[in-house]
Amino acid sequence: MIAIVYKLIPHLLSWFCIVLVLLRCFSVRRSVIMIAGISGFICGVADSAVLFRFFSASTSYAVIKSALGASFFLFWTIAVVAVYRSGERSTTVSSRARWFDSSFSAGVISAFIAIVSGAICACRIPVVDSGALTYAVPVLAAISLAYASLCIEKRISVSFKAAPLGAFAAVVALLLFSSSSLPRLDLFSPLSMKVMKGVHDFVHQFMESILIPDHLFVKPIVWKYIGLLFGKEVGFWGGIIIWFTPVLLIALAIGSARLPSVAHIRQGAQRRKLLAAAIREQRLQLVIPFFSIVIFAGAAYQSSFPSVEYWDPTPVAVTANQAGEIFIPKTGEINLEDGKLHKYLFKQGTREARFFILLGPDGQLTVDLDACAICKPDGYGQADGAVLCYYCKTLIPLETVGKPGGCNPVPISFIEKGDGVAIDGITLINSWVSTVQATTRVTEGGK
Amino acid sequence: MAASIIETTGLTRSYGDICALKPLDLLVPEGEWLSVMGHSGSGKSTFMNLVGGLDRPTSGSLQVGGENLLALSEDGLARFRREFVGIIFQQHHLVPYLTAVENVMMAQYFHSVPDEAEARFALERVGLGHRLKNRPGELSGGEQQRVCIARAIINSPKLLLGDEPTGNLDHKSTIMVMELLKELRAEENFTVIMVTHNQEVAAWGDRTIYLDDGILVREERLVKTDEG
Ligand SMILES: Nc1ncnc2c1ncn2[C@@H]1O[C@H](COP(=O)(O)OP(=O)(O)OP(=O)(O)O)[C@@H](O)[C@H]1O
Ligand SMILES: [Mg+2]
Repeated sequence: MIAIVYKLIPHLLSWFCIVLVLLRCFSVRRSVIMIAGISGFICGVADSAVLFRFFSASTSYAVIKSALGASFFLFWTIAVVAVYRSGERSTTVSSRARWFDSSFSAGVISAFIAIVSGAICACRIPVVDSGALTYAVPVLAAISLAYASLCIEKRISVSFKAAPLGAFAAVVALLLFSSSSLPRLDLFSPLSMKVMKGVHDFVHQFMESILIPDHLFVKPIVWKYIGLLFGKEVGFWGGIIIWFTPVLLIALAIGSARLPSVAHIRQGAQRRKLLAAAIREQRLQLVIPFFSIVIFAGAAYQSSFPSVEYWDPTPVAVTANQAGEIFIPKTGEINLEDGKLHKYLFKQGTREARFFILLGPDGQLTVDLDACAICKPDGYGQADGAVLCYYCKTLIPLETVGKPGGCNPVPISFIEKGDGVAIDGITLINSWVSTVQATTRVTEGGK
Repeated sequence: MAASIIETTGLTRSYGDICALKPLDLLVPEGEWLSVMGHSGSGKSTFMNLVGGLDRPTSGSLQVGGENLLALSEDGLARFRREFVGIIFQQHHLVPYLTAVENVMMAQYFHSVPDEAEARFALERVGLGHRLKNRPGELSGGEQQRVCIARAIINSPKLLLGDEPTGNLDHKSTIMVMELLKELRAEENFTVIMVTHNQEVAAWGDRTIYLDDGILVREERLVKTDEG
């Protein structure tokens, strides 16, 4: 029980902050937000429980992750619109504010956010031993934290308002922070991976389209620059840009919003006083976006240290027989079909190759290189229901291991012979060498 | 009769065992020009500092502009000084390395936000339109005191306090400064409290009170000969 509470800390912490932001953002009665929020959270936990009970884990995660992805996308859209509109004088604000501040919309928005929050929280509870009691833990914790939030919010000075834009940024940041410790819900790692893959594919296509067969005409110095594009840095920095741009745009939109016109006020002191108040309010409104930037940074940081305990097997050295064939028995010292990832190291002269054997969910064994076509060959570890690329921290669901492409481990053909698996040593080495050459050459600046 | 801008009852201020202001009951109607006279050490500055929110009374009640100064927090008192009071001292207290216009803008800055055009205009009003970019050291005593007046009125105070503003000035400059204050008061309708040792200066006011050893000993209403 205590272990579960411990695991839930980041999620409950963000829930606490979310309630605080919601209470501060809407000017409707606090009870509306509290009731909508708490019932939303309970619904979210229940939704999550139902999803995991009746659908496969990957479907369930996909549903919740889509909600997160959608909110991040919405966040981008709103940020861009906000910057675009920040120059306008706020004349229509009153009608928008009236809609925004109705009890109904405040309740609906709060409830929706709470559902996502609760669903993420429930994902952290192991499906196997999840009785109703286990789910009561986050629910009770969430209710008491919401109450604590309410008490604290009442004490915060009234001059500290949360503008809708800033509050939205904070909520998205907190939801992403909450989800980033769950590798299968995390958005940041796949985002940087997508960027890396995108750049990789683009450069590759570009090279092919202008008919440069590899490095025939391209001088090594050029490779150095092209190489930069393939590095982890590109994915990382690209990811960072996509990650942080919307919240920066929102801060910019708030910071550059036109101040109310005071030109009609005749007395200088009065005019300056109003102007100073407006400037002060604007500065205070920037506090929340800056807080969100910190949360986004925390989410990105958390995402590179997934909290799922993964299994990192040490490679077992294997050799080939006279026919150049590596034979690995299914049973014996190692049971190949136990569902775990088994790593091997094959050496031939000065050359070597790392690979692993794994029993897929479909009951078929697969043999794959401990490397993919994109990343530096740091290899894979095993997380629950997935393998994890150590380099880009992407989780590859077990269902897709054995299929080629992307960040999937490169599959190797093999023959199941009686009570073992036979792999051709030469094929293995060649496959390893070409894969690793393609990824290290570019990542290390080209040779 | 106009409402009172200042109301004191039993107002005292002691420094240790020195009682600088003995229980004082005083009403100052809005828009009045009150002169305060008395010997050196009679408690004139002490009274001014209390009314201007620069100091806190030892006992008694003190209402200025409807605010109970005793009940105000430090922040509240700072806001009161910023928005309600303008002060001119005998020593000009201008920042020596800032120009005239910058000195005025400084007061705007502490009040809200600086506005150079407005600061220039304020200096033009006190007749220093041609000395905007001069530092205090390059101005005469009378001009310095006029910069102080511009600075004191820039935030449209309801109450203007002068603690011997003309103490260092010759007769001609004194007349000039007093004329200026009179003009500005006519335009802005602020209340003036002016401490002075000079009977002639006191005569610019509507009423003079005399303090002696912290006690209000006498008060004189002046009949304006020039205003009929
Ligand atoms: N900060 C202080 N600490 C101790 N005693 C003080 C303080 N300020 C003033 N006093 C004393 O209080 C009494 C009144 O001082 P106050 O400055 O009000 O006199 P004043 O009427 O303004 O005199 P002057 O005409 O010389 O300016 C004096 O005896 C003075 O010594
Ligand atoms: Mg004095």
